[in-house]
Amino acid sequence: MTQALQNLFWIFIFPGFVFTVCLGLVASWIVRKVSALVQWRVGPPFLQPFYDVMKLLGKEVLIPEEAQQTVFKAAPVVGLAGVLLLSTMLWRITIDPTRLFVGDIIVAIYLMVLPSLALILGSSASASPHAALGTSREMKLVMGYELSLVLAFIVVIIKSGGQLSLAAIAQQTPALSISGMLAFLVALLCVQAKLGFVPFDIAEAETEVASGVLMEYSGALLAVWKLVQAMMLVALPLFLVMVFLGGFTGALWAGIAKYVLVLVLLILIKNTNPRVRIDQAMKFFWFYCGVVLVAAVILAIIGNSYGIKWL
Amino acid sequence: MNLGKILPMLVFLPLAVGFVLLFLPSKIKSVSKVLTLIISVIAFALAIRIFSLGQLEYSCPVLQIGNLNLDLLLSASALQAFILMFAMGFGLLITLYSLKIHAIRNTNIYYGAILLTIGGSAGILLSNHLLFLLIFWEIVTASLYLLITTGGKNSNFAATKSFTMIGVSDAAFLLGVLMVWALSGTLVISEIAKAPVPTTSSIAIIAFILLMVAAITKAGAMPLHTWLPTSGEYAPASVMALLPGAIDKLLGIYLLVIIVRSIFALNSVPLTFILAIVGTATIIIAAMVALVQHNVKKLLAYSAISQVGYMILGIATGTAVGLAGAVFHMLNNAIYKSCLFLGAGAVEQETGTAEMDELGGLGKKMPITFVTFLIAALSVSGIPPFNGFVSKWMVYQGVIQMGTEQTSAVAKLWPIWLIAAIFGSALTLAYSVKIIHSVFLSRLPDKLKDVKEVSLPMRIPMVVLALLCVLFGVFYFVPLNRFIYPALDIEADSSIFIGTWDSTLATALIVLGIGLGLVILLVGFVSRKVRSVPTWTCGEVQPNEQMRVSGTHFYKTVSSMGGLRQLYAGQEKGHFDTYNQSGRLGLALTGFLRWLHSGLLPMYLTWVILGLLVILFVVCKIW
Repeated sequence: MTQALQNLFWIFIFPGFVFTVCLGLVASWIVRKVSALVQWRVGPPFLQPFYDVMKLLGKEVLIPEEAQQTVFKAAPVVGLAGVLLLSTMLWRITIDPTRLFVGDIIVAIYLMVLPSLALILGSSASASPHAALGTSREMKLVMGYELSLVLAFIVVIIKSGGQLSLAAIAQQTPALSISGMLAFLVALLCVQAKLGFVPFDIAEAETEVASGVLMEYSGALLAVWKLVQAMMLVALPLFLVMVFLGGFTGALWAGIAKYVLVLVLLILIKNTNPRVRIDQAMKFFWFYCGVVLVAAVILAIIGNSYGIKWL
Repeated sequence: MNLGKILPMLVFLPLAVGFVLLFLPSKIKSVSKVLTLIISVIAFALAIRIFSLGQLEYSCPVLQIGNLNLDLLLSASALQAFILMFAMGFGLLITLYSLKIHAIRNTNIYYGAILLTIGGSAGILLSNHLLFLLIFWEIVTASLYLLITTGGKNSNFAATKSFTMIGVSDAAFLLGVLMVWALSGTLVISEIAKAPVPTTSSIAIIAFILLMVAAITKAGAMPLHTWLPTSGEYAPASVMALLPGAIDKLLGIYLLVIIVRSIFALNSVPLTFILAIVGTATIIIAAMVALVQHNVKKLLAYSAISQVGYMILGIATGTAVGLAGAVFHMLNNAIYKSCLFLGAGAVEQETGTAEMDELGGLGKKMPITFVTFLIAALSVSGIPPFNGFVSKWMVYQGVIQMGTEQTSAVAKLWPIWLIAAIFGSALTLAYSVKIIHSVFLSRLPDKLKDVKEVSLPMRIPMVVLALLCVLFGVFYFVPLNRFIYPALDIEADSSIFIGTWDSTLATALIVLGIGLGLVILLVGFVSRKVRSVPTWTCGEVQPNEQMRVSGTHFYKTVSSMGGLRQLYAGQEKGHFDTYNQSGRLGLALTGFLRWLHSGLLPMYLTWVILGLLVILFVVCKIW
């Protein structure tokens, strides 16, 4: 019983919904503020992301007549559940590494797909031609970065000697070696694409397909999507920190510094690049990142079998 | 009563009735329907009884030639019993589904062949004698031919192609069986299993490859898969759900497991390498081809090929978790692939087409088909917490464990196998999304306005299978402990995993998360009204048909990518089709013979005289 209550507390309050959402909205404020500073603007006040979500919740919900309404409405909710589970799992393992919670690194990789999948199904259900283009692009983007992302994680699994447990993986710092660094940089770009940040905001390109996947969403449904995006902004950089940068195993401030570092790197990439086309993005992830990662995998295997840590 | 007697009953009752049905005049259709339903229910009940009884034996001497004993030996242990139960279950579900299909050409042959399939596959699973196994194997091949011919136009071509390819692999099977006989001196599987043939001599390796060819052709792995897409396009969907979707996978992988575990002691690195490379190549290539298909059933056929790769890869790892994952994936794949084919069949029956271009928006019209199809599609893509995820996750662990614990060259290449397997899963998701979008979501074409949901007998099998997908995913330890571990002699509740997946907790948390999301939505929906509006097209008013974006060309970016473009073009023309290539070889050969047979008498006389000279020369040389 107490176990069940504890689980409820974890998923709803800390480190689940309330905590992740607040942190995510703060993170999205950081994104907007830093972007503004880069572009010589003042940027929004601290509470702006909170106001945005509250305002959207109070707006009228418009649902397209031709849409498959159940899927259209359920998609943001499923996306929320997926990212919530991922975030709770990662935080739980960070807080208490000795206890197994929900899953390992492969489970985390698969849970990361859930929000993208929900977005794809939701936009596909909206019956809008613009959204259909977005659906296709989002799916191709997932296909593209998944190969690189998994290869990057394989580098980490090699370095950990075949360990799958996230707690064990967070004990080491692969980014301090050549192969780990390469894998980290590519994984960072993959997360950039997963978050739908420029230069990989192809699926919701406002200027081309009018927000594509999100085109028909409005009101409370859009608010939930905004929450999902904010929570992704917590979960995905945290995942990178855990897998590549040694997680929160050291001091707390060091962990927070690593998280902010990843976030700022993402923001800087976002603000210094133009949007690419979908075929360019796929080619980039499959071929260029692929070659880099194959080299990283080979280096990691050599380093592992000869005991050379810095490879 | 001797309990062992139910084994031959389960095999020969469906075979006998099925054989009779084949020759019934086509006017009495209802008799064959009712009879097939009754027999398949009996078969399923018997299979459950066999499963609950555990170890069963039956033997009946048939023939003795010299030292070759041909006894009909049937036996059921844990492995056979659980596969048998599911195979009979699929037989029953598909029979139920078939009752309402309109588009079958020859009803009595269809039902007769279904019963032959049921009896034949029971025979394969229960046979303890390799020759009888081969005979039942042929019966299933022949009934597949009959079943495919009941489809629409061009189904005869597809049936011939399937029959040729599987028939050739059956010949390899026969040859392999004879070599095993020469090597071990017996054809009884349980006798061979006492001292499995080591794969060290070259003859043993050849025998292994021959038997493997038979197994993977039936299961439909590369490069012997090409009968599957062709029949996928032309055969009735229920046939695809029954044979290539479910039973062929069960049988093929069952044979492969038997080969690897009972008949041979697999300790040759090249053979493991072949298995691993066949597995990974099948996963990736078939999934890449599936991406660009236009026909739902053909796409699903490629998907069925792709999934076999995981099973073969799992077996190739040689680890407990990999093997258990492979067998579990065999079971899971049979469940969701059957469900997918049945869904495609339902759509085809109601709309008259399986071309994605002409479909769309059916989620509103056929909600039950849509939901079951969606669950099965998520399962095949390995989305947690559905069943496909668990078995794929086990195969991945098998690969990683192989890499860390074994020292052979195959094991050292584990990153290649792992990346192929996980990336294959992303490709699977991509083609699943393509089908879901172009058939069930997107926009409804004008001519499909009056489409209705299929009737109850067609809905029940889909719902049952979709439920199994969810149950086997959330409570995956139940089928593992109940079916898989006993079958593979793994201790129940043993910790063969190196990873963690607490599926029940994860599902509970996902459900809580969904609840939370619904509360947020409710707040929004209550605070302001919800309004239905036409699709926003930036002010431009378009007719419905022009706003339809079908998913057919979703992955044009992939198929027109430099390097891949040429491969796709070659694939489209059939350059990589073993059947086409051997057909071309055969044509060249017959062309040569035709050229020889010019019909001119002097030419023939010249040949005769030349031949005579050669014979004379040889004869003189010998004496």
